[in-house]
Amino acid sequence: MPGFSGGGVGGGVGVPASAPPRPFRPSRYVPVSAATTFLVGSTTLFFCFTCPWLSEYLSSVIPIYIAVIFLFTLANFCMATFMDPGVFPRAEEDEDKEDDFRAPLYKTVEIKGIQVRMKWCSTCRFYRPPRCSHCSVCDNCVEDFDHHCPWVNNCIGRRNYRYFFLFLISLTTHIINVFGFGLVYVLHHRQQLDTPHAAVTMAVMCVAGLFFVPVAGLTGFHMVLVARGRTTNEQVTGKFRGGVNPFTNGCSKNISHVLCSSQAPRYMGRWRSPQAVDVQPPFLRPSLTEAQLEAKVLDNGIQNDRHSTRSKSSLDQMESQSADAEPPPPPKPELRYHGLPRADTEESSLLTDAPPTPSMYKYRPAFNSPGRNHTALTHPNKMIRGESLDSPSPTILQSSRQPSYRSEPSSLDGTTVVGGGVGGRRGGVERGEGPGGPSGTAGVMSGGMSGYSLTGRSYTSYPSSLVLSTGGSRSSSLRSAHTAHNPLATLQSEGTTDTSYKSLANQTPRNGSLSYDSLLTPSESPEFESAAHELSPQKPRALFPSATITGQPEVVSPSSPLQGYTSPFLSAQIAQQREGQLLQGSATFSSPHRAYLRAVSPPPPSSSGLPETQHLLQHNQDSSSRAPRNLSSSSSSPGARSLEPPVSPPPRGLSLGKSQTYIGEAGPQHKPRPTGGGIVLGGGGAGGGQQAPQSTSRPVLANHTTSKPGGGVKKVTGVGGTTYEISV
Amino acid sequence: MATEFHNLQELRHSASLANKVFVQRDYSEGTTCRFQTKFPSELESRIERKLFEDTVKTLNNYYAEAEKIGGQSYLEGCLACSTAYLIFLCMETRYEKVLKKIAKYIQEQNEKIFAPRGLLITDPLERGMRVIEISIYEDRGSSGSSSGSSSVSGSTAR
Repeated sequence: MPGFSGGGVGGGVGVPASAPPRPFRPSRYVPVSAATTFLVGSTTLFFCFTCPWLSEYLSSVIPIYIAVIFLFTLANFCMATFMDPGVFPRAEEDEDKEDDFRAPLYKTVEIKGIQVRMKWCSTCRFYRPPRCSHCSVCDNCVEDFDHHCPWVNNCIGRRNYRYFFLFLISLTTHIINVFGFGLVYVLHHRQQLDTPHAAVTMAVMCVAGLFFVPVAGLTGFHMVLVARGRTTNEQVTGKFRGGVNPFTNGCSKNISHVLCSSQAPRYMGRWRSPQAVDVQPPFLRPSLTEAQLEAKVLDNGIQNDRHSTRSKSSLDQMESQSADAEPPPPPKPELRYHGLPRADTEESSLLTDAPPTPSMYKYRPAFNSPGRNHTALTHPNKMIRGESLDSPSPTILQSSRQPSYRSEPSSLDGTTVVGGGVGGRRGGVERGEGPGGPSGTAGVMSGGMSGYSLTGRSYTSYPSSLVLSTGGSRSSSLRSAHTAHNPLATLQSEGTTDTSYKSLANQTPRNGSLSYDSLLTPSESPEFESAAHELSPQKPRALFPSATITGQPEVVSPSSPLQGYTSPFLSAQIAQQREGQLLQGSATFSSPHRAYLRAVSPPPPSSSGLPETQHLLQHNQDSSSRAPRNLSSSSSSPGARSLEPPVSPPPRGLSLGKSQTYIGEAGPQHKPRPTGGGIVLGGGGAGGGQQAPQSTSRPVLANHTTSKPGGGVKKVTGVGGTTYEISV
Repeated sequence: MATEFHNLQELRHSASLANKVFVQRDYSEGTTCRFQTKFPSELESRIERKLFEDTVKTLNNYYAEAEKIGGQSYLEGCLACSTAYLIFLCMETRYEKVLKKIAKYIQEQNEKIFAPRGLLITDPLERGMRVIEISIYEDRGSSGSSSGSSSVSGSTAR
């Protein structure tokens, strides 16, 4: 039976299905108590002292009319106070498939042709739907968040906005009534003003007059908002100041939507009917599609495209790891049906308006797809791990893993080095920085050197690196989030730091801008902007490995608390990690730094010697300067894999040397950087504190880099909307 | 026979949750409740595309019906106002009625279509209408070939 959702201490929030208990704060109840006292008290006095005279002197309809208006006001007041405004339940763990540090802070959707940004809510663990906002007072995400009203001690959202609006209207009417009829009484009793009745009436009139101005002002304000189809939050933060409001349907439709729509359901405190459906094998399967058949054929070792290599490499992976003493790394976060052209699916999905369908990664151990019979036989975990190599741009990781099983085109070699190196580093970070650092570096170096770097050592030491390295190339596709969560959690403080680690790597290609730049660029205030400015949070996480490995573990923790929005944090991280960045010959994460560096200062030409990973965004100068050099160390560039023949180890050594020189050159340039980062941090820290009023305080950093790809830049689309430009 | 018995017992609990797919909301037409009909690739091998899309489209239609602003919702609002919202204690709103229909529909789809394919749809209402959660189950089987064991147990079960 429908009814009000529970009120009580929570001030209108229903029984929280997944919200933590909040401390009792008596100060929150002062405004609502005062409002209730004034409203009920004044009206009662008015009824007792003024209405008897009114009913006999004028007519008895008047008190009845006043009483009706008063009851209507009271009812709306109670509904606005006690009704659940539309609180979203916290997302379950398995929905949070994206790593905190891997997934972007913002996701874009297109609403009626206008790009709208959905921000990741670190408390509630989902991307806030459009118009949803997190109320810091109530500590909940509220649908169609209007504002938090202290006078009713409740958020005003989708479900109770109508009652709030009617409360304002009826309260204004009631105040006018009381004031008006009180005035009539006083004017008729000018000679008897010393009687208690007149005195009380005058006092009530004063209270009414006092409250009339703000209440009427607020009522008028909300009338305008309703007519324009905006929420208070949107109006106050100036979201549509210069642009078009995608949520408006015209004045009359907006009004009817507010007043005449059916009562929205509440999400919290609902009875969850137990799952009555029994799922029992055997399961029906649809007939194999052509794609699946093709994948099966390719599985025989014919390397035609990435898909086949993916499945093949997983097999190789398993075999090569069979001798490993280390436990297998966490399986890749996304379980995909083997052999399916996932890259294409991802790409096409990315090109559509909707964000790609995310998949969870937690339930990996049980996954045994029938197509992998041969792998499932021996080591399901390893198979899964092998699957983790599967990614839209899989080759990087795989080829690095199994030098001895190389049956893939040698053009893939270039990617191996980077992937392995990156993986090693990342694994080091994930595992707890300190001990991992040196080994990770070693792995990186070896990767850089040989190109066929087994990274066996690095692999075994940091199994998660496998997943992570792929993640390096495709930010959101790889998630060692599961294992990474815990160590990362220790690094970060609550709330804001979580969001700061939302890597920016995958920005939807819808924006057309691949821009790893955007990763480095903090978000700007207007949310309804073109996608180009979209990427605000950068991958601080991505920076961690390099920082850690280069012996700057201090970078990790101190910056975490500073994060309200990632940009300031990112700048600081970049400043500190730049040097570490340069030290790694084949670091996937070196590329973002390098990109940033270039944006900020003229990059040394030798930087291109560093093997590029697929997610390096190339700026024009980078690509142009790098292009000729890449020819010599082509194998190191993932973008080159389709174009150039595989390189033998010697060029890699050469590139490594180049990278070292680059480090030397770039060293002095880095010094001034931290100050800039510090300034940014200050701004970011100030801006990061706010939560409910959205986006106004977001610090704005200049977008140093342009996302224009230079000549010879290849775009690779990854899982989860990440697009990378790889210099070719 | 002992083997059969063993397999039958295993069969009872041999389906385990392997993965979850989340079908996101489609905001292209505003904040009205719609879900994307794009077919997730994880389900490629588990269910026919058409069945999935039909399910999602039906759900979208239900939600559109629930949020429709028309005569019934207007009358409901007037009635609620005139009774100081006490009517909500007795009456079910239009939206709630449609939600019940949706729950029934999802249950029925699960029984008829999804569970036989090792999938389960969770009512999006439980997730705040943000996603449709589809759980993918796999045959747990023994540590050996999963398909082999499941087929064996399947045949013995049948």
